[in-house]
Amino acid sequence: MHIICCVKQVPDTTQVKIDPATNTLVRTGVESICNPYDLVAAEAAVQLVEKYGGKVTVISMGPPQAESVLRECLALGAHEAILLSDRAFGGADTLATSYTLSQAISRIAAKDPVHLVICGKQAVDGDTGQTGPGIATRLGFNQFTYVSEIMGVDPERNTITVKREIEGGAEVIEGKLPALLTAELELSTIRYASLPELVRSLRQTVRVWGAKELGGLPERLGLKGSPTSVKEIFAPPVRGGGLVFDSGQNSERVVKDFLDTFFEKEKRLLDGLLTKDGHAQEH
Amino acid sequence: MPKNIKGREIAEIIPDKCIACQLCIGECPINAIDMQGGAVRIDPEACAGCGRCLDVCPANAILFEKPVRKKMTGIGQKPHPLEGYRGIAVFIEAHDGTGAEVSWELVGKARELAEKLETQVLGFLPGTDVEPVAREAIAYGCDTVYMVDNPLLQKYLSRMYGRALAHMCNQVKPEILLVGATSLGRDLASVVATQLETGLTADCTGLDINPQERLLLMTRPTFGGNIMATILCRNHRPQMSTVRPKVMKLPKKDTGRRGEIRTFDLETSQEVVQVPRIIDFIPRAAEVGGVDITRAEVLVVIGKGACDPRHLPMFEELAMLMGGTVACSRPVVQSGLLPHIRQVGQTGKTVAPKVYIGVAVSGAVQHLVGMQGAEKIVAINIARQAPLVQIADYALIGDYREIIPKLIKGIESRIKVIR
Ligand SMILES: Cc1cc2nc3c(=O)[nH]c(=O)nc-3n(C[C@H](O)[C@H](O)[C@H](O)COP(=O)(O)OP(=O)(O)OC[C@H]3O[C@@H](n4cnc5c(N)ncnc54)[C@H](O)[C@@H]3O)c2cc1C
Repeated sequence: MHIICCVKQVPDTTQVKIDPATNTLVRTGVESICNPYDLVAAEAAVQLVEKYGGKVTVISMGPPQAESVLRECLALGAHEAILLSDRAFGGADTLATSYTLSQAISRIAAKDPVHLVICGKQAVDGDTGQTGPGIATRLGFNQFTYVSEIMGVDPERNTITVKREIEGGAEVIEGKLPALLTAELELSTIRYASLPELVRSLRQTVRVWGAKELGGLPERLGLKGSPTSVKEIFAPPVRGGGLVFDSGQNSERVVKDFLDTFFEKEKRLLDGLLTKDGHAQEH
Repeated sequence: MPKNIKGREIAEIIPDKCIACQLCIGECPINAIDMQGGAVRIDPEACAGCGRCLDVCPANAILFEKPVRKKMTGIGQKPHPLEGYRGIAVFIEAHDGTGAEVSWELVGKARELAEKLETQVLGFLPGTDVEPVAREAIAYGCDTVYMVDNPLLQKYLSRMYGRALAHMCNQVKPEILLVGATSLGRDLASVVATQLETGLTADCTGLDINPQERLLLMTRPTFGGNIMATILCRNHRPQMSTVRPKVMKLPKKDTGRRGEIRTFDLETSQEVVQVPRIIDFIPRAAEVGGVDITRAEVLVVIGKGACDPRHLPMFEELAMLMGGTVACSRPVVQSGLLPHIRQVGQTGKTVAPKVYIGVAVSGAVQHLVGMQGAEKIVAINIARQAPLVQIADYALIGDYREIIPKLIKGIESRIKVIR
């Protein structure tokens, strides 16, 4: 079985902060990491190959530094890594990204047929979750998003069975390969790479493909191939502040003050809430 | 104006304004721009002073004054025939013969946008036996509902639904298509946008219209939620956007409203045997009990500063007293104290309760985008400068361990009076 994982380098958004004095983003010292959902996807792919045989190829579209996330996946046990890097890919929205990635997958598949593609369910910097389905649609693969468990692969019937997390519960669904999955965090538990694996991952070559190697239509790539554009950015809207009750030394008093004001000013709202038939007692 | 050693006038990044979107990196024809430690840098000696980075920067973060040639967008792009696309379509999500609430919320929003464009609101409804849903769609505000009623659409399958919806778009040619950002809707919208080769903006929190250019202004939190961005889809139609449940207001239903229902056929060929098969559905235990924080009228939302299992009964008591339920911020989910279905915010649920009580919640932007629709916000926090305290209608400054027991007592005695 040949599995391709698409991984993305993202800024560690948990570190991005707003400077309260200037109300601007503080980005210095923010590290780049591998999108956590993608690492889970790569780990799941490696586990599948350990069980059913085959190989895992990881690909990433990004600047030259994105090589590091590919090495992270190699350390988990992925076999090959290809970096898609070209000025022409820059500024891509999800439509252009899925185009570039699917071009690469087709090119890989021409030499070495692909049975499964696994992506993270979304990237934590954009949170759109559109790239995986975009790739599946372009390649004509069956698509299973939000997968929390791979229940089995049947090589004879050429099918895969997965569990998907959807509204209200989980769906168990079976479909033909080739297929594309997008991974929930529960899909796998990432291993600690062993020292030999780490050393191997550092020695391995990561191939780099640019727009020339991919072929395809230049007008579909990067900024040119992106129908959406940012018109403007601004700080999130804020609601005006209200009344402040500082409990200081005497919280008893202040809580009473607050409740008096609250019950007086919001009488209508609270009467509706608190007098609903036995509402307060029913629990 | 900065110059380099060669005396050439060069572009410079204004670090305070830069949002590290990296658009300029892709645009620079000579690779003079790159990311270093999370910040974007222009190499002054390499910069040729062409000013293209200035053209693409969405944040006005590039200092460059030399008169720049006119922006060259559109070259190499086929002019897209946008004429002939009219109407605002809403994908109507149906389960077991009823429409999803988020679809009606979007129909309500679509009506508002349709006024500004002087056009119609269209419902796009694939499914099985969905005629009653079509009538409901009209009651909520659709002028025309297009239906694909086919047994193959009994359960959601990406490709089948994708084909049905893309087909409707190709036939009807709406200028805008709105989709509820449920797991089904997000999956479907991505498929359809790819098939139609158009732009899709996920999880918009605001939608508006530029009537002169008939453009949809799609606003969403971006770059990890710290900033809002307004996004356009200029040259492709339909302009597509997904919106989460509860972000838009549910319109009033008017069963007397008139509208038209039209049906389309679904072209299915030999593929039918190849479609995936749904084997089982396992309801999530926690949701069987009916916890749905989006429906609660009062939410007691606990944050990292109150993430203490010993105090959970106290928070539940306060919530129940007011007829509400307990929700939380992301770190509380990460700690394992409460499940993800109780999380409020960008990666949790959007809520709009009558009363939101934040206990030791700082009010990070990612949290705020999920609760700004609350009618009244109460914040309990030791820190006066916490962002949630700044926006709260009522802020109680102090240790929640001191405050909440007193709140419970006080409310109990006042409830007796009301009854
Ligand atoms: C891509 C992305 C998506 C995210 N999505 C979400 C999301 O959906 N929802 C979400 O909530 N977060 C989300 N976050 C995380 C978000 O950035 C914040 O980290 C998080 O909301 C902070 O949670 P908090 O307010 O509970 O904790 P903190 O920010 O740590 O705040 C704790 C607060 O408790 C107060 N406190 C401490 N002790 C006491 C006491 N004894 N009495 C009273 N007050 C006390 C402190 O003053 C402080 O204000 C996301 C982040 C990213 C990067």
